[in-house]
Amino acid sequence: MTSLRVLTVDDSRTILAMLHHTLSNAGFEVLQAEDGKQGLDVLKSQQVDVVITDINMPVMDGIEFIKHVRATGQHQSLPILILTTETSQDKRDQGKAAGGTGWIVKPFDPEKLISVIHRVVH
Amino acid sequence: MSDLDDFKATYFDECSELLTEMEEQFAAIEAGERDADRLNAVFRAIHSVKGGAGAFGFSALVGFAHAYETLLDYVRDGRVEMTDDVVTLCIRANDIVADYVKAAQTGEALPADYGQEEKERFDALARGERADDDEGGEPMEEFDLEFVPVMVNIGGGEDAPDDAGFDLGDFGGVADELANSNDDLAEDAFDAPPLEAVPGQWEIHFTPHTALYARANDPLLLFRELAVLGEMQVRPVLTAMPSLAEFEPFAVYCSWEITLISESLTEAMIREVFEFVEGDCDIAVAQVGAAGAPEASAGVASATAKPAIEAEPDTSDLLALADDEVSDLLDFNLDTDVVAPPVAAAKAEVAVATPHADAIIKPAEDDTFEEAPGLSFAELAASIVPSPVAKPKPVVAAAPPKPAAPAASSDGEDHGSKASVGVQSIRVDLDKVDRVVNMVGELVITQSMLTQQMDETLRARYTELVRGLEVLAQTTRGLQDSVMAIRAQPVKSVFSRMPRLVRELATKTGKKIKLETIGENTEIDKTIIEQLSDPLTHMIRNSADHGLESVEKRLAIGKSDTGTIRLSAEQAGGNILIIVEDDGAGINRERVLQVARDKGIVAPDVNPTDEQIDQLIFAPGFSTASEVSDLSGRGVGMDVVLSNIKKIGGSVHVRSSTGKGTRMTLRLPLTLAVLDVMLVKVGVSPYVVPLSSIVETIQCSRASFERVPSGGQVLQVRGEYVQVIDLAKRFDLQNETESDNRFVVLCEAEGSAKVALIVDDIIGQQQVVIKSLEENFERVDGIAGGTILGDGNVALIVDVQGLKTTIVHKNAA
Repeated sequence: MTSLRVLTVDDSRTILAMLHHTLSNAGFEVLQAEDGKQGLDVLKSQQVDVVITDINMPVMDGIEFIKHVRATGQHQSLPILILTTETSQDKRDQGKAAGGTGWIVKPFDPEKLISVIHRVVH
Repeated sequence: MSDLDDFKATYFDECSELLTEMEEQFAAIEAGERDADRLNAVFRAIHSVKGGAGAFGFSALVGFAHAYETLLDYVRDGRVEMTDDVVTLCIRANDIVADYVKAAQTGEALPADYGQEEKERFDALARGERADDDEGGEPMEEFDLEFVPVMVNIGGGEDAPDDAGFDLGDFGGVADELANSNDDLAEDAFDAPPLEAVPGQWEIHFTPHTALYARANDPLLLFRELAVLGEMQVRPVLTAMPSLAEFEPFAVYCSWEITLISESLTEAMIREVFEFVEGDCDIAVAQVGAAGAPEASAGVASATAKPAIEAEPDTSDLLALADDEVSDLLDFNLDTDVVAPPVAAAKAEVAVATPHADAIIKPAEDDTFEEAPGLSFAELAASIVPSPVAKPKPVVAAAPPKPAAPAASSDGEDHGSKASVGVQSIRVDLDKVDRVVNMVGELVITQSMLTQQMDETLRARYTELVRGLEVLAQTTRGLQDSVMAIRAQPVKSVFSRMPRLVRELATKTGKKIKLETIGENTEIDKTIIEQLSDPLTHMIRNSADHGLESVEKRLAIGKSDTGTIRLSAEQAGGNILIIVEDDGAGINRERVLQVARDKGIVAPDVNPTDEQIDQLIFAPGFSTASEVSDLSGRGVGMDVVLSNIKKIGGSVHVRSSTGKGTRMTLRLPLTLAVLDVMLVKVGVSPYVVPLSSIVETIQCSRASFERVPSGGQVLQVRGEYVQVIDLAKRFDLQNETESDNRFVVLCEAEGSAKVALIVDDIIGQQQVVIKSLEENFERVDGIAGGTILGDGNVALIVDVQGLKTTIVHKNAA
């Protein structure tokens, strides 16, 4: 069985580094992008099992990114987790409205992160 | 170094970039470019600072950053107007964030109330906004409570709590809300709740909406999650299933009743599982009495370990039928992947193989489906539905997915985990680069040593070797340039801090000051850039405080009311020139000389030139400010600037024009590591003079020396009189070379004034690696550092500028 492949999209190098560390330690394959646009590029060329995306990003923010992903036919069932420091319902609602599957509150706890991923991926 | 330290290093690195970004954006905003992009960039920057700070538990930083971010969010929304005051406040806030970051990095504690004033002003602004909205004054502190920093626990560090902050408490709020909003539903679903609740037995009624699927949530996963909580039984409810003719592919017809048994189970735990699908489904959770769930015990059996999501018993035959017939007829896709979840951690197993939902969509479009006799669609669906994957998927989605996977993944494995996107640069620890720089420096020395040892006889005999050495020299030079380029960075990172400074200075002095920056993309060695901030700050302070006149005075003498400070950077040969120039009053030479005499820096009988007087402001202990001002005073004078600049191998030259302004020029080496020099002999010792400052060399016999009345020697070069310094005398060395056989090395230090150094012999040009004298010995006037020559000897590097300035003092002494 091949390992799950996770795409993380965040403009913070710190967060990307921590995600990479946590996810690869948990046996995931990790792809990374620094903004929504890069994220879309990855999805064009790579098969991904789950996406974790930040909301506040330059070029293309997380909400736009999710909308774009959902707009492309082949990613309707791709789980997209929103990683955010925003705890406000408002941001979550926006993320959900765009098509986000779930959310993780930043800063994340590794164990919780893994369990949340398993909650949305087969 | 632990992982956490690594991440922290990354974080602080990132912070410094983010802070620079914030400065830059605000510089533009201040200049009138108040567009949304800039504001968004600042918002994102502070947001990232906050995010990382939270991960490392820098709670003070988080608190301040959050309040600041909230204000920015208000500004972004247009709820708070971006007035000049707000801009000033934000610029101040940037400083505070920078201080907090620095404190976090160094571990120094800031006062508990640091930034409190600004925080209160954020608050006041927010309140003001709300007052306008008639919403009352909810203080901003509320927002602070929303973001609770949670320490990361990465790399198994024991110092962080195990389940830091991610217990139910975190989600409790949401769960509670959910619970409240669904109270009505719960009551509807269970009209008659039993009087006696049985602890640990729960009934859940779950009806997904289409939106749930649209967001890639999947009931199967929810059930899997629930199954972890306790013994579970799932029963599909198919009463809503329409006839085939009415069936709509994207509609959802199935809901589920779930019985979950576990003594430790709470409603919040159940609700948490449904957290992500909140609003995308109807869900009712109720604790039931023993009588309320009679069928539970049978179906549950030993389900804890492997709870089976069972099909209704009497449809199992139909299921088989459906599988065979339908797949034959309609080329069914059997998506076995979904049936046996590939996730290792999957704790629930679904035992029923079912046709994928995609198949259902096709029959709906295909008349031949009716040839499956006696199979009502509802029955068929009932047989299928127990697997929660029976979700309507668009047909397009069914086409490519799994077959494409192997190709994609094998392709992906090549790039594997390194597959970062758009990577055109790598981040390297500066230490590593330093090591390479040092090694290259040593290589340069070795190379020049080899070259030196090739005398004429050897050259004649080993032509191949000579050619090899030439190639080596070239390659070494190329390598050295490349390594230096790695460390080069635009001076922008320092320049960008100055607008804020000037703004502050303008406020404090009451003067109107405009800052112009030129050449901020000029690149310079990173270590030099780091050392540049303090001297530049000091020089700009000096210009603002002493150079520029007050508004009244400027107007009185016919200047514009706004003084200009121009900060520029340019490359000049092997040097970088950084110039701080103002259009102020210029240096008051009379006063400077007076102060210098009073302080004994210049002897009463010495009459320095204008240039020497200007340079006096860099003399140790010199300060013309009659009282130590808050601005430029701070207990240090320009001598600190000079010593800081010297430390990085540079020099400072000041040139002033009364009434017109002052120009201070920093001349810096491109790099600290390697210097092109001329090797000379003074007495018996080798000295090196930086090649960049040498104009020409003359044999003493051909030089036209003259005496000045004070007894000093000068050299006339093309009509210009140049100060002469005999290095042997200056360094108290014996020299036996006949005076006519000695050499004059004509050097041009900062500005136009040249100086002529007399040396005993000229050995040749070469490159040397600079070693700091201060670090290894102590600071010596007139010496910029040391170097190790190819033959192993130590040579001292002559500090031309230093010799020029110290000669005044020496004469005075």
